[in-house]
Amino acid sequence: MLQRGSEVSLVLKRPTSSQEPSQAVLAALEELDDIAGGNLVHATTIGTNALLQGPERLSHGVSLVTTQGFRDVIEIGRQNRPSLYDLEFRRPRPLVARRDRYEVPERVTESGRVLVPLRRNSARRLAVSLRRAGARAVAVSLLHSYANPVHERRIAAELRSRVPFVSVSSEVAPEPREFERTSTVVVNAWLMPLVSQYISHLGGGLPKLGIGSASVMASSGGLVSLEEAATRPVQIIESGPAAGVVAAAETARRAGLSSIISFDMGGTTAKVGTVHDGRVGLTAELEVGGDSHHGRRGKGTGYPVRFPFVDLAEVSSGGGTMIRRDPNGTLTVGPESAGSAPGPICYGRGGTVPTLTDANLVTGVLAPTLLGGEMKLDRAAARRGFARMGDPLDVAEQALRLADLEMARALRMVTVERGLDPRHFTLVAFGGGGPQHAARLATELRMSTVLVPRHPGVFSSIGLLLADWRYEARMAFPKDLPRDLEALRRQLRRRFRAGRFSAAVECRYAGQGSELSVPLRTEDRRRVAREFERLHEVTFGFRLTRGVELVTLRLFGERSRPKPSFGFSPSSAGPTGTRTLRWMGRDLPLETFGRDGLARGARIRGPAAIDEYGSTTLVPPSWTATVLPDGLLRLERSSR
Amino acid sequence: MTEEWELVSKATEFIAEEMGVALQRSALSPNIRERMDHSCAVVAPSGAIVAQAEHIPVHLGSFKVGVEQLLAALRSTSSEPGRREMILVNDPYITGTHLNDLMVLAPVHWRGSLVGFVTNKAHHVDVGGSVPGSLNPRAGDLFGEGVVVPPTTIVRASRLDAGAFRLLGSNVRDPEVARGDLEAQIAANRMGVARVRDLFDRFGKALVERSWEESRSRVSATVARALGRMRHGRFSAADAVELGPRMLPIRVSLRVSGAGVLADFQGTSEQVAAPLNAVLGVTYSATAFAVRAALAMTFPTNAGFYDRVQVRAPPGSLVNPDRPAPVSGGNVETSQRIADVVLEALAPSVPHPIPAASSGTMMNIMVGGRRASGRRWAYYETIGGGSGGRSSGNGVSGVHTNMTNTLNTPVEVAEKEYPLLFTSYALRPGSGGVGRFRGGDGLVRGFRLLEPATVSVISDRFYRGPPGRDGGASGRPGRVRLRFRNREKQMPSKFTVDLEPGAEIIVETPGGGGFGAPTRRPRRPSSPAG
Repeated sequence: MLQRGSEVSLVLKRPTSSQEPSQAVLAALEELDDIAGGNLVHATTIGTNALLQGPERLSHGVSLVTTQGFRDVIEIGRQNRPSLYDLEFRRPRPLVARRDRYEVPERVTESGRVLVPLRRNSARRLAVSLRRAGARAVAVSLLHSYANPVHERRIAAELRSRVPFVSVSSEVAPEPREFERTSTVVVNAWLMPLVSQYISHLGGGLPKLGIGSASVMASSGGLVSLEEAATRPVQIIESGPAAGVVAAAETARRAGLSSIISFDMGGTTAKVGTVHDGRVGLTAELEVGGDSHHGRRGKGTGYPVRFPFVDLAEVSSGGGTMIRRDPNGTLTVGPESAGSAPGPICYGRGGTVPTLTDANLVTGVLAPTLLGGEMKLDRAAARRGFARMGDPLDVAEQALRLADLEMARALRMVTVERGLDPRHFTLVAFGGGGPQHAARLATELRMSTVLVPRHPGVFSSIGLLLADWRYEARMAFPKDLPRDLEALRRQLRRRFRAGRFSAAVECRYAGQGSELSVPLRTEDRRRVAREFERLHEVTFGFRLTRGVELVTLRLFGERSRPKPSFGFSPSSAGPTGTRTLRWMGRDLPLETFGRDGLARGARIRGPAAIDEYGSTTLVPPSWTATVLPDGLLRLERSSR
Repeated sequence: MTEEWELVSKATEFIAEEMGVALQRSALSPNIRERMDHSCAVVAPSGAIVAQAEHIPVHLGSFKVGVEQLLAALRSTSSEPGRREMILVNDPYITGTHLNDLMVLAPVHWRGSLVGFVTNKAHHVDVGGSVPGSLNPRAGDLFGEGVVVPPTTIVRASRLDAGAFRLLGSNVRDPEVARGDLEAQIAANRMGVARVRDLFDRFGKALVERSWEESRSRVSATVARALGRMRHGRFSAADAVELGPRMLPIRVSLRVSGAGVLADFQGTSEQVAAPLNAVLGVTYSATAFAVRAALAMTFPTNAGFYDRVQVRAPPGSLVNPDRPAPVSGGNVETSQRIADVVLEALAPSVPHPIPAASSGTMMNIMVGGRRASGRRWAYYETIGGGSGGRSSGNGVSGVHTNMTNTLNTPVEVAEKEYPLLFTSYALRPGSGGVGRFRGGDGLVRGFRLLEPATVSVISDRFYRGPPGRDGGASGRPGRVRLRFRNREKQMPSKFTVDLEPGAEIIVETPGGGGFGAPTRRPRRPSSPAG
């Protein structure tokens, strides 16, 4: 996608190469004319793919240095198993083999006091033996290093002159909980050689094309430089999915909305995230490379990473998600997907199992042709697919409702379970399937407003151009907020030229096991504590007469990027025809429109469908769609 | 709309699960928030379980028994909860687990009539009694294990009843923690009530009730189909739990038929004056766990499954004691052995091989005392071991198996919370039994006291390690050592001791049994069990 001034054009789509992703990017850039002097903004799945392939598929290993007595923490994890009733259960293979785990005699206490000093000799001997063993990447994680990093730093200093890639837990994730912190630094060390190679190849090729600077989308939805990504590659693991929420957040900002839920339904999954009071909802930890079960990440199925990630709940409800009956005769939707090949039955590419796209077609939500008429859908074949399971229309409609329920559950995970009421949010729907289901999903959650942006099919990539630069730094158990904030500001300024800062503190009642993130609007601890108590009551329904602990202080440094605007040239072509909609067991006449043929301010009462290239917006009965001045579609439920 | 039942039953499953999330997120103690020692359920007015979300299997069947017994107790005293009320109980002879599990039940009323209940259980770190953590190895009866709460109205007009709470709070070491966790349980139920009422609003009473019935019969049919693939007949097995030098036998005779599994524990040891007695709810849970695991299929947990599992346990025995026998360790240790013997007995009946025995102990550690500030503290931990070798490969090392799946307390969290300094947390190499496929290794976890404290341990498998299967060797037994002033002492599997600062406890958990004779082990480098 190319942005010139404030204009954007969709230019080029090329497959990547899993062998040499940087070459594929450079080759695609070479096809473009007149890009000298420009900047590159991109998302990459290099981290995710490496983790999905698993440790045994990579040529290099990673070594780990821990406090004496604790080298196996990385394998023990939280000592749970991922499934309760599976006698053949497995845990993810440890990222560090036991022979590559090294221990040093040293000990720091929870208050940061040095109990057993680390001798300079033992740090040096360790570094020498790691070099002799041929270590390429080394992670260092000592107990309580977030409270006092002196020993980790000493070891790192010895290692850095002898080993190519060194990652230290107090620099990557300085916060308590030894397993999660160790896992984070190990994943980081493990990704460093890969990401560094990618970035040096990419960075090396850009000057020839005249491209000055390049940035990568981080999992938190902000952009970071290539150098930053190479130092802390854990932060670009969920680079791609973050972009959709960023696009939704910026669209909302322009529409004057501060609280929205982004709903991105593609071919295989649906993802929902939140923007609350103008901030993208983040989570402090993600188990990467793990399984999720109905949108909930299974504890112990992957590798925990403590870094800010856009808080997304993902469920297997995409256009290609398969609809079947289990041996009991119970109708099930997913988790298997037919993807785009063989795809839904109606695509006629060999698919034999009906999918959600087939269900939307037979119930009349989708038009019998897609992509502006380029693609004819086989409605009769889709119907035959459902007929094997019962009355085709009943089964298809029921499957859609089950999918809505599953997506509603994902949506509750990122709202209700975070103490937010979805009824106070607007749903921003995109991806090919989002606009088909948005109003139904909103009804399920009693939300009253939906926005459908223009170009919903490519909306996520637009998010890359709408993002700002954003870097993160954190500190465990801050003692003096003004002083600690200043220390973090200094640290961020060393890493990049931040224009503004925003901070949050993860707080809990003393003794609690997990935290609530409190946006920092004051440097007064007591006011932070009061704000935490208010948030605790909103989220959980009660307060306690107990001290409030400030566990982690987190600072984001941000700088804005000039953003594009999107032109809109309305016309008024009127309805394009009618089809029949199956709705709550009845057949209703559905008026159809073309999205490009709508005038500003046009109002369309449901039941109606608005077709466009790559998507269809369903306006159900008792919903009304309005075309806003900038081309956004707003759907509203009439209050009865 | 022929199939709306699926929507309703899915939505009901989600309610149970979201209640669990709410409870975990708002609880105060690390035991619930970090270790997830809690479970939730949605129940029909009859007491039949409609949906449940259990995080640890020992809560699996105990809901069925616990809810039935609680409703019977409430009816017999005509003290059923009214609108906006909730009942608290921890009497194990009602709840079906042990005193630490506080169970809170809330009725769901809709348009003036009772349409169901929501309930949850959470393990409170301390419920009083003579040792911190309340799992008291020396308890001779139930009263030595903490405060016994009969069915009591704990919420009136939607609020925690201060008087009722004071009675509980005055009997536990850290009333503030107890209150925080109880408030979390109440909040979870409140959410559950609202969501179930919402379900009735949206779908209507007739459809919801029909759907709940339908999902029960579907699960029942699923289980029946799996039973049809099993070898039918009688199968038996025996093992034992350790009490001092005594081995207390646990015997089971299973009758497997197309209709279900009936487990008869005739021949099991009589009840003892030590906390190893497993109340009927625990025996039922462990049996249900073993059956469910052996079926090797997934289905939602509801009454349709429970309909297929029956237990006969002689009254006055170790697996169905008479009140007021002490029971805290029955829940955590005897439950493991019951699961072991039922899995063992099922092995010849199921079409696929059952793994060798796993660690077989939860290795419960309770430490507590009084801080210099005067505040009392209690720390509870269980430690994983090795899982048994299986036909598909080596067992897993350092993991919780069978009746529990709680997370550990991170060392960095425990050291901040309690006056402890950990000295190791590591695998215990070579502890898994050899075999064609090795058992997983147990763990070593050591800690030193920084202040005077009482340390209690309730564990098992110190004499006999977890047995192998098909010629595999046993895993190494567990052991606990006490080091103080350069002297080291081996401790028994169950003890309580008052210790001075500087004393170090080193716990080693059993490895899993090996699977198959070692000579048939394929020649390839052993990989760390992962």
